[in-house]
Amino acid sequence: MATRRSPLLLAAAILAVGLALSVVLSEYNLRLLNLSVITAIAVIGFNFAFGLAGLISLGHAAFVGMSAYTVAILTTATGWSPWAAIPMAVAGTVLFSALIGYPLLRLKGHYLALATLGLNVSFFIITANWLSLTGGTNGIPGIPQLRLHGYFISGERYFLRFGLVFLAAVAAAALAFQRSRHGRAMIAARDDEIAAAMSGIDVTRVRVAAFALSAACAAVAGALFAEHVRFIAPEDFGYVHSITYLAMLIVGGEGSVVGAILGAVLLTFLPEWLRFLGNAYLAFFAAMMLAILIFLPRGLVSLFRRRAPRRIAEGRS
Amino acid sequence: MKLLQACGVTKVYGGLQALTDVDLTVMPGESVAVIGPNGAGKSTFLNVLTGLTPPTTGRVLFDGTDVTKLATHKRVRLGIGRTFQHGRLFSRMSVLENVMTAAETCRRGGDGAPRETAMRVLERMGLAAQAAEAVGSLSYGQRRMVEMCRVLAGKPRVLLLDEPAAGLNSGEVEQLVERLAALREEHSVAVVLIEHNMGMVMRFAERILVLNFGSTIAEGTPEEIQSDPAVLTAYLGEGYSHADL
Ligand SMILES: Nc1ncnc2c1ncn2[C@@H]1O[C@H](COP(=O)(O)OP(=O)(O)OP(=O)(O)O)[C@@H](O)[C@H]1O
Ligand SMILES: [Mg+2]
Repeated sequence: MATRRSPLLLAAAILAVGLALSVVLSEYNLRLLNLSVITAIAVIGFNFAFGLAGLISLGHAAFVGMSAYTVAILTTATGWSPWAAIPMAVAGTVLFSALIGYPLLRLKGHYLALATLGLNVSFFIITANWLSLTGGTNGIPGIPQLRLHGYFISGERYFLRFGLVFLAAVAAAALAFQRSRHGRAMIAARDDEIAAAMSGIDVTRVRVAAFALSAACAAVAGALFAEHVRFIAPEDFGYVHSITYLAMLIVGGEGSVVGAILGAVLLTFLPEWLRFLGNAYLAFFAAMMLAILIFLPRGLVSLFRRRAPRRIAEGRS
Repeated sequence: MKLLQACGVTKVYGGLQALTDVDLTVMPGESVAVIGPNGAGKSTFLNVLTGLTPPTTGRVLFDGTDVTKLATHKRVRLGIGRTFQHGRLFSRMSVLENVMTAAETCRRGGDGAPRETAMRVLERMGLAAQAAEAVGSLSYGQRRMVEMCRVLAGKPRVLLLDEPAAGLNSGEVEQLVERLAALREEHSVAVVLIEHNMGMVMRFAERILVLNFGSTIAEGTPEEIQSDPAVLTAYLGEGYSHADL
């Protein structure tokens, strides 16, 4: 039963499947898998905000971008080591998200969605126009590679093994968190905000925490993205990506770490598999989303949970 | 020592005077009922006591300190517990998890682990067998009882109950009265009961406050209230001299 699966088991499963794939896949598919792994970390983060706390945030890609740009700028313009730049980028992004979270999270539902969408659009405009800092639409090339024990983490296969460690760690931590009292408080704040307050939960604090945690994962994903592609530009973090994260979580199963990973992997590979459809892919995508919303409102993970009492399993694994 | 006190509470919604200058004092372990016709302001009064709605004027004191400006979750942690007229459970959680949420936020020195606290409360209220079940699969009466368990897991010193017997069958009402009486006996929890079921009110309450259109029209023992002319008029209109309250 999905709900009994321990965080360590999940981490082990991610590493085992990922390592096996790293041996058999072609370079092209490895590249897609790397993107999936990075995206999965971002979507696990989005699950804290949307899946657990119910915050409709459409600015998640801005946090990914903020971290990626911090890594890019610190390593190219100021010559920092990536190992120093990554924690700095994550810390900076989390701090920013918490500061902006307090005023932003007074808004709810559609208003929050619009405000966060605005945040994402602003981020795009700033990165596309602040030429001296971000290079504008040309982006920032030449981000230095990570080095481990004197070796560069280069090539898709090696990078995948590196990225998998991050994904396994983030997924295990997210699952453990979700089952802790803090995760329960987030679910409570979403299910019924008044009953949550009446159960002694500080709803505002819990919401800001969910938002900051989601940004923390986004920041890890952004830093990895910068180190993977080593060339970033504003369109990598446009609001369309935020909406994609939302679609991934809904396809995989909101409230579920496993669902976040499934959705991220599937929606990264699917456009490539269906390349022959050309523009018709968008129509296919729309039809698929509708079908999932209607027939599998709890996402793909619910397929594996048939026998678990449904309402209990929700929002936990 | 007064446990919970409302002083001159007035609440105005737009042009509507939902509460006018209502006073109430609850002593530790006491049982008080608040009754009144539909729309009298009973739920609004609980909203003010718990901090879900700020009063337009007036103050709320708990254990001698002014809590009028204190956030709801902080009042809960001090020991004010409340159930809702239209049950409010966390639908994505199991019965046990629902009850654990309050046990987790209201831990005091010497308490056991929240899971154990929650299990104990469920056992006591006869829901231990349903602990792992989804709240959606329970009967209406059981769901109301889960809400009661969740409040109790927070170890309240005063329990505010908004029509806990509504929708329960007579056996369930009986059980509820017994359990509440036992709670008062053992933990000297004070109870403020809002209820339309007059049988339950008369049996359970030591004192009754009657609201009508947001104002207190009577306060006294069940015997006094049953024969109060203002109460009879409010419930039945002019022209009746006695009634089966
Ligand atoms: N949020 C609100 N905004 C405006 N008016 C409100 C609000 N809440 C309550 N009221 C009004 O205040 C009055 C008192 O309502 P309240 O719910 O407290 O009554 P009640 O005594 O609990 O009634 P019932 O027995 O039907 O539960 C009603 O006229 C109601 O319409
Ligand atoms: Mg009411």
